[in-house]
This record gives sequence, C-alpha cells and structure tokens, in this order.
Amino acid sequence: MILFEHVGKRYGGRFEALANIDFRVRRGEMVFLTGHSGAGKSSLLRLIMLLERPTRGRVLVAGHDIGRLHPSQVPFYRRQVGVVFQDHQLLFDRSIFHNVALPLEIRGFDPREAARRVRAALDKVGLLHREKALPIELSGGEQQRVGIARAVVNKPSLLLADEPTGNLDPQLSADIMALFEDFNRIGTTVMIASHDLALIARLRHRVLRLRDGRLVADEEAA
Amino acid sequence: MSRQPPAPPRGARTQRPRSSSRIRGWLRHHRAMCLDSARRLLRTPIGSLLTMLAIAIALVLPAALWLALDSARLLDAELDESATLTVYLERHVDEAQAGRIGEAVAAQEGVARTRPISAAEGMAEFQQALGLEDALERLEDNPLPASIVVVPLDPAPEAVRRLAGELEALSGVDEVRLDLAWLERLRHLAELGSRLALALAVLFGLGVLLVVGNTIRLAVESRRQEIEVVMLIGATHAFVRRPFLYSGAWYGLGGGLLACGLLGLGNQWLAAPVSALAASYGASFTLPRLGAEGSATLLLCSTLLGWLGAWIAVSRHLAEVRPR
Repeated sequence: MILFEHVGKRYGGRFEALANIDFRVRRGEMVFLTGHSGAGKSSLLRLIMLLERPTRGRVLVAGHDIGRLHPSQVPFYRRQVGVVFQDHQLLFDRSIFHNVALPLEIRGFDPREAARRVRAALDKVGLLHREKALPIELSGGEQQRVGIARAVVNKPSLLLADEPTGNLDPQLSADIMALFEDFNRIGTTVMIASHDLALIARLRHRVLRLRDGRLVADEEAA
Repeated sequence: MSRQPPAPPRGARTQRPRSSSRIRGWLRHHRAMCLDSARRLLRTPIGSLLTMLAIAIALVLPAALWLALDSARLLDAELDESATLTVYLERHVDEAQAGRIGEAVAAQEGVARTRPISAAEGMAEFQQALGLEDALERLEDNPLPASIVVVPLDPAPEAVRRLAGELEALSGVDEVRLDLAWLERLRHLAELGSRLALALAVLFGLGVLLVVGNTIRLAVESRRQEIEVVMLIGATHAFVRRPFLYSGAWYGLGGGLLACGLLGLGNQWLAAPVSALAASYGASFTLPRLGAEGSATLLLCSTLLGWLGAWIAVSRHLAEVRPR
C-alpha cells in the first residue's frame, strides 16, 4: 500500500528532516510510527498526504509514484486517503453533522446518500446523538472522534493519523485506538504516528521507529 | 504490496459517484454556493451595500458619458440628413431665371433633392428666425438673394465640396455655402468624447475589479482556516473558488443595479433644466434613458466584472494558502 524508497526530505537546503527512509506497508496492515518529537513522524505523514514532496527518493501509494502526480490531481488523490489530525481541523462554524459531511460534499454526493453515510460514521464513533452540536460544545476526545468520523466517511483505503491521542487521558486514548483497530479489521490500511509508547506496546502492531530523521527500527507485530 | 498497473486503491473500497450523479452534485454545489454567498452578503448588509455603492459610482460615470455620446450620435445622424449646401443666386436674377437655374442645379450629378427659396421666402424665414421684424420692415428693399437648398446624394465632406465647386460654376450662381466646418468639428468632438468614454470605462472597470478584488481578498482571509481544511480533505481549486466567485458576481450585480438607479435619479434631476434649456432654443430635447437593453448590458458587464475581480483575487490567494 505504501512504499518508501530512499526517501529524504530537507527543509531550506540545510535541515534534514528525513534521510534515506525505506519501508513498505502492506495492504490491510496497521502500523505505528513512533519516535520523540522532531524525529520526523509528521514530516513522513506529510509526504504521504502530499503536503510536501520528497527532496530525494520516491513515495508510492497503491502503486502510484505520488511525487509525479500533477498538482491538479492532488485533490483526487487526497480524497482516497483519510487523515486524522492532532488538532482535529474541524470547522467551528458548522455542526458536527456538516463537518463530517464535508468530504462527501466536496465529492458531490447526493445529500440523502451523504446523510446516510454521515450518520453511519457518527454512529461508529458513538456521536450520533450529537450531530447537531457545534464542535466547540464537545470535549477534546469527542472532537477527535468527529475528526475520525470525517476521515472514514469516504471509506478510504488508507487512514493516516497524526498523534490522534495527543491530549487525551489514557482511557480515551485506548478508546480511540480501539476505533482504529475496528477500521483496520474491515480492511483499511492504518498508519498512526504516536509517541504514547505504553499504549503502542499494549496494542501489539508493527512499529516503525524514527530517530533524527532516520528509520532506526522496524518491529513486526508480536 | 504488489506493483500492479494503475488501479485505484481498494481496501475498504473508495466509491466514486457515477458521472451523471457527479454532474448533479456539481450543479447542486453551484446552487448551494450561489445561495450561500448571497446569505453571507446579507449577513453584513452595511458592508455589502458600501461595496456595491463603490462599484455603482465607478460604473455611473462611464455609463452617463456613454449615454450622452449616444444622444450626440443620434443628433449626428440627423445632421447627416441636413448636410446641405445653399446656392445663393446673383441679386439681379429674376424669378423665371431662378426657375431655370433651379432646374439646372437639380439636374446636376450628385444632387438628391433641391428646395428653391425665393427672395421673399428667404426674408420671411430670416425674420422668423431672428425676431427682428420691426428692423427689417424698415428696409425698403429686400437685401436677400434667392437661393436653392441642395441635399447632396453623398454626405461625405469631399463629395460635398466637389459638388459645391461644380454648382458655383453655373451661370447666375453667386456663391455656394456649405456648412461643413462645424459639422466636422462636431464629429471630432464626438470622436474625442467616445475615446474619453472608452478610456474612462477601462479605468473605472479596473476600479470595479480592485474594489471587488479587495473585498474578496478579505473574505478569503477570514475563511482561511476553512479553505485549508477543505483543501486537506481533497477539495479542488474550483470548489474552493466557487463561493467567492458567486460573492463577486453578487457584488457586481448589486453595484450594477445601484448604478441603474443612480442613472435614473440623475436623469430625473437634470430633466427639467435640460428641457427648459432646449425650449429656450426652440428645440425639444429629452435626456437619453438607459432603456431595457442598456440596463441589461450594464448589469451583465458589472456582474462579469465582479466575477472576474473575485477570480483574480481568489486565484492569487490560493497560491499562498497551503494546507499546513
């Protein structure tokens, strides 16, 4: 599903965020990306989201060299990748329902079909009863779950998450991770950047460990 | 992962709407953004009105000048009809001779019509025009010669000048007057006016672009976070641009409507003194109105200008707004 070949990323010609990264994630796998802050986790995810392009090497997603995508193709690529952001990136002037419906609206879905899917996604994250609320009325954990619902409403084949449990207490973090495992169980490839080592250890999935922009360990699932 | 030839990622299968439903979705988004942008404008009525007023003021001046020129052109067309020559006969010519000369003039090549004016008729017209009856009545003798008004076939200045030369060579003809000089002057003025109007229209059109562009730039700035988020989840530039294009078009349309209203008001305001002025010259002249066609043109232009201004502003900005 994801293939990194000798990928390097420099910012401003000097600072080397990633150097010589090689790994492969198979379809349907669930992978954690870990390392201390500044190790390059976010940079790596940004390359897959096409928010950045590598300065060296190639990134392939589903067999396509995404570095070669024309800028006009980028939106269509992004629609196939669900992303959960640490800071949720919700729109605070519209309801939970409309936040989750946004990816479908962008794709021009029929409103009834969209409503059906939005409710299904909200139901999955346990927030169906809050669909009319505004994001500001929700707790951090609930906002994160809205972000997850929005990422999966499109039924993407690849789900990325950048520190999805960043500011949550251990119980909420475990709940969120359980959600990701559910999506992985129905075939979605999941990649999660997190520095919550205790939680990761308990979940027993493959772990990619980054240090100073280098891949220092690739531990297969126990 | 296998390296298969291009195939969309599967996994939990991304569903792509069929093309017919995609078109419907596209139309739906247009309709939604059209209404949504109108609602946003109405949410800040004073600000929107000020922007539209700025657009209207920029449109009124060139539109008014264009109207004035249009009526000048109408006047010019009438004058073409009356691009006449006046053939003055020698004073000693009697009525029978005048009739013969008149026939000769009418037979001349390039003459469309003639109208003979006897000395007595000339006197009567002169008195009527100047209102100098008393003074002229004291004259013992009619000082005016008989004349023939000639309407040429070709009103072009060179042709008229050539015809004048030919008529002057006829015996019994004292002088041929042609009133070309002031006609040409009027033409030059009209040409100058229309160029001025065009230059003004271009300048003020740019003004409208700037007004709309600046307003839209602020709107984009205030919705920056929203734009970043929708771009993160796969919105195309066209999708992001759409609501702002509709806002621009609404501003343009509103400005155009206000401009039409201002022109109508101006017309009312000036109508009375203008017709009084015209009446004092013994003419009847009404100020030109924009009319349905003119209003439609103005509205179309203003809407397009608003749309274009928004397009430029958003496109310039989209290059800067990069999802973080």
